[in-house]
Amino acid sequence: MDLIRELESLAPELEKGLAQASSLESLEELRIAWLGRKGRIAAIMSGLPKLDPAERPKVGQAANRVKEECSRLLEEARKRIAGSQEKKRLERFDPSLPGRPVWQGSLHPVTLVTEEICDVFNTLGFDIVQGPEVETDYYNFEALNIPRDHPARDMQDTLYITENIVLRTHTSPVQARTMLSRKPPLAVVAPGKVYRRDSDLTHTPMFHQIEGLMVGQDITMANLRGILTAFIQAIFGKHTKARFRPSFFPFTEPSAEVDISCVICGGAGHIGNEPCRVCKTTGWVEILGSGMVDPAVFKAVGYPEDISGFAFGLGVERVAMLKYGIDDLRLFFENDARFLSQFGQYA
Amino acid sequence: MFVPLSWLREFTPYEGSAQKLGDRLTMLGLELEEIVNPFANIMEIVVGHVALCEAHPDSDHLHCCKVDIGSSEMLDIVCGAPNVATGQKVAVAPVGSTLPDGTKIKKARLRGQPSTGMICSERELGLSEDHKGILVLPESCVVGQKLVDALNLDREVLDISITPNRGDCLSILGMARETATAFKLPLNVPELPLILDSQLPEIVVPLRIDDPDLCWLYSGRVITDMTVAPSPLEFRCRLQSVGIRAVSNIVDVTNYILYEVGQPLLSFDYDKLEDRQIIVRRAKAGERLVTLDGKDRELTKADLCICDANRPVGLAGVMGGANTEITPESRNVFLESAVFAPATIRKTSRRLSLISEASYRFERGMDQSRTIWAMDRACSLLASICGGKPRKGLTLLETRPFVAARIPFRPKRADAILGVETGEDFDARTLENLGCSVDRHDAASWTVNQPAWRHDLAREADLVEEVGRFYGLDSIPPVIPHTGRVPELENAAASKFRFLQRIKHWGAGLGLNEVINYSFVGHDDLDKLNLPKAGRISILNPLSSEQDVLRTALAPGLLNDLRNNLAQGAQSLKIFETANTFIEDAKSETTARETSFLGLLLYGLREEPCPAHKETDLGYADIKGLVENLLAFLQLPKPVCKLSENSAWLVPGVDILVENECVGTIGLVKQEIAEQYHARKECWLAELNLEILGRLAAGRVARFEKLQIYPPVRRDMTIIASPGIKAEEIFEKISAMKLPLLEGAILLDCFEPEGGETRNLTIRLTFRHSNRTLKDEEVDKEREKVAKSLRTSLGVEI
Repeated sequence: MDLIRELESLAPELEKGLAQASSLESLEELRIAWLGRKGRIAAIMSGLPKLDPAERPKVGQAANRVKEECSRLLEEARKRIAGSQEKKRLERFDPSLPGRPVWQGSLHPVTLVTEEICDVFNTLGFDIVQGPEVETDYYNFEALNIPRDHPARDMQDTLYITENIVLRTHTSPVQARTMLSRKPPLAVVAPGKVYRRDSDLTHTPMFHQIEGLMVGQDITMANLRGILTAFIQAIFGKHTKARFRPSFFPFTEPSAEVDISCVICGGAGHIGNEPCRVCKTTGWVEILGSGMVDPAVFKAVGYPEDISGFAFGLGVERVAMLKYGIDDLRLFFENDARFLSQFGQYA
Repeated sequence: MFVPLSWLREFTPYEGSAQKLGDRLTMLGLELEEIVNPFANIMEIVVGHVALCEAHPDSDHLHCCKVDIGSSEMLDIVCGAPNVATGQKVAVAPVGSTLPDGTKIKKARLRGQPSTGMICSERELGLSEDHKGILVLPESCVVGQKLVDALNLDREVLDISITPNRGDCLSILGMARETATAFKLPLNVPELPLILDSQLPEIVVPLRIDDPDLCWLYSGRVITDMTVAPSPLEFRCRLQSVGIRAVSNIVDVTNYILYEVGQPLLSFDYDKLEDRQIIVRRAKAGERLVTLDGKDRELTKADLCICDANRPVGLAGVMGGANTEITPESRNVFLESAVFAPATIRKTSRRLSLISEASYRFERGMDQSRTIWAMDRACSLLASICGGKPRKGLTLLETRPFVAARIPFRPKRADAILGVETGEDFDARTLENLGCSVDRHDAASWTVNQPAWRHDLAREADLVEEVGRFYGLDSIPPVIPHTGRVPELENAAASKFRFLQRIKHWGAGLGLNEVINYSFVGHDDLDKLNLPKAGRISILNPLSSEQDVLRTALAPGLLNDLRNNLAQGAQSLKIFETANTFIEDAKSETTARETSFLGLLLYGLREEPCPAHKETDLGYADIKGLVENLLAFLQLPKPVCKLSENSAWLVPGVDILVENECVGTIGLVKQEIAEQYHARKECWLAELNLEILGRLAAGRVARFEKLQIYPPVRRDMTIIASPGIKAEEIFEKISAMKLPLLEGAILLDCFEPEGGETRNLTIRLTFRHSNRTLKDEEVDKEREKVAKSLRTSLGVEI
């Protein structure tokens, strides 16, 4: 029965040892010393064959009990030590260390706005088409009812390649090209670069426009208003008001400039007591030009007389400036990474 | 177009505010730019009475004045003008006020005498160039009143922008007509009856028009016995309020009439006209004329001239000649009022870059029914203001009388275009109010006669616009159309726009910033990169030499962006652009071939500094990785990269071949070129032809491959090769072996021992069997096969 007593003394002894242990390594040493193949339990048990066979089961049972007890003690100690180590690690962990910077790409605001606008018109049933940037005088002017030696040519200062070839001054030539290649009914938008011989604080010699054209049997000014109102509210919000003001474009009749209620001051003209700089206190900002396609344009492309349609054109940079609050047009083409990166989150 | 309310009211009794008028006109297509006060800078000037004027005790030309400006005390003012005198009403700038030239009036002492204000000359008030003496005001002016009130000057002038189609609105008369229609007011044109001199003999100037297709009406009158002098103050102030500088009475009258009724007039010194006759003809080649602005101009056969017997004396419709200019000595004037073909005036004006008030209006069309009327109105003013005698006799030739267009108008068509029923009576009333005569005999298709002043009304569509304008485009209810049209869905997905959109999102998604550069650069920019000169497309009239040619490559723009960003202190840059390049192409209808390219530029630090990071610079592997990634993104195979043979500015320059087609180049910008853009580190560029990539990628879709379930076994081997052996060759050899168990091979490391003649390439081979687990011995055997093959075929050591 000495063996049993000997075995049973092992657990309290281990407990004492464990109380001293402060690392997982010393714990492991204790485990090996007690439970290992050459450990103390094993050493005691090596005396088993000498015992009376009748006593062996009792000793065996005691050994199992002690083994379990030791294992339990070891596990408890492991949890305690691991817990305190984890606590220490957490105390040393600095969650405020910076993250590793990721390559942050961005789409140019002109791209973002172009896509957004084209998506709206896509949803409204317009196809996206494109045309050349170097254009003939015919498509850029003549086919759009802007003859040579007409004052309407003054509306756009033109960059010429030759006397008959220009850098397109607007996306409108895509109207004529589209009508020549398609039959009505048709609905298209044409985004792209356009060029003017103009460079100052509010003009860059290159900028972006989106042209729209819808032609059919019974297209009316009311439809123009319907489509453009839907578009404006999609881009600038439901609360935005649109105003259609008569104007002049050689290739539309009637023509209308479309103003929207100022997105900066909400149409009030003032912010507090300060006059609104964006709408110059008028409460309106010009956003696009539009109108019913002039019969002369239909004639130029050989469309029947009883057809009707509307067209519109808008400046992408202008929309981007209003949408993102950009106050300097030149920023668009300086390509300063600090400017470009601001639009990364929209990519 | 400046519209002073007071002037407008002489023609129509509009009593509302300037703002309300501007708002209404804006909604009629005559946009209000702003309401200006042309006299804002003399608002502080008051009327004073010179109670006493004495000579300055210490000066032979100064005067000491006591001036009453209605305040409790008289002002002491020292005045140097020769014409100041006791009893005058004068314009006084009190202490604290500012003159138009910015001078602030302060208390001062002039040679010992106190001066608390200033008595002003016309020049000091910005009213004219007259500085001979002070401005003496009419006796009726009230002391202490503001000068602008005393002279009844307009404080509110509308600045209206007039679209090119509305030449008829470039006059007070035209704006009054529109105002009257808008507010349902009468139009009362104040008549100035012309009284011809009854005593003196009639003068009809001999007149010949050689080019009747360019001069449609020419008329003139002679006014004799005039005295050239300044116009009356009121008259000058009115011209001032619309931004016209007063010159002398005769010139002022012609300007006044031009602005009031829109008809440009030209006055010649009658005595300087050789043989006192007029010939309207095209200039002869080489003929010259010094115009009123003092410039000597060479004329061409395209220019229409007003000539006397021997020489041009005026550029028709643009500007008079100096040889017959009105001078202070002029006594007799030949006054011209004419109508010229708009296109010819425009051509001459453009060619000479000479845009005058006259040419601006002639280009936009005249009211031919008022040509003579306007001239007679001017003669009447010349008689009353300049003391002239309008002589009997009218010089006149009308070669192309105005014929009003008879325009068919279908009220139903108007409704169909506008999308609203405006009502037939509304249509008729609107057109009549605008001066059209409307014949509704045929109820379905009316006949509308064009007014002489509305050249923009010639077709039904023009009339529909008028109806819409007055109905209010803003009052038409918005309706979404239902065309029943099926959008071209199939095309949409494959369109170039969508392809470019995919590329842009790929670039932004990989951490590059999208840039947009101008399509034009300078020839210098292209020369810097040794880009070919042949095929460049130059701009005929560039804004500057930095923008005189369309870019033939994206690199110049990207490098400019690098320079701009480095100037702002950037340490690295990762940008891309998708844009067209332009090359001459005789076969293209636009003479240009536009090819869309993707440009990539990498410069500087691979990563932003952060803890535990190793600072390294972007290199070949980065740019090539991007290109490979793009090709994979487009479902295209891995590219073959070869040193480029014709890249003058990239060293190395590497051609990218996909399916045996060169899709672009990547490379390192030559150091001496990069330095010109202030780059101090390696600058890596790629330009890929998106037309080719788009074509190659068209129709490719991802194909699903079954996932392998048995484990891979990897074996690394280091190959010691001569540097002449390219990595590509090794991989080609390996894949040529077509080992069924070899799944893939990648390069782990590439190392050149210092001073050695060899290069060490560590390659990882991955083996896998599709339906069982491989045994180590099998794999070792396979690896050995690879090693043996490489040893024999490439002569490398393993």
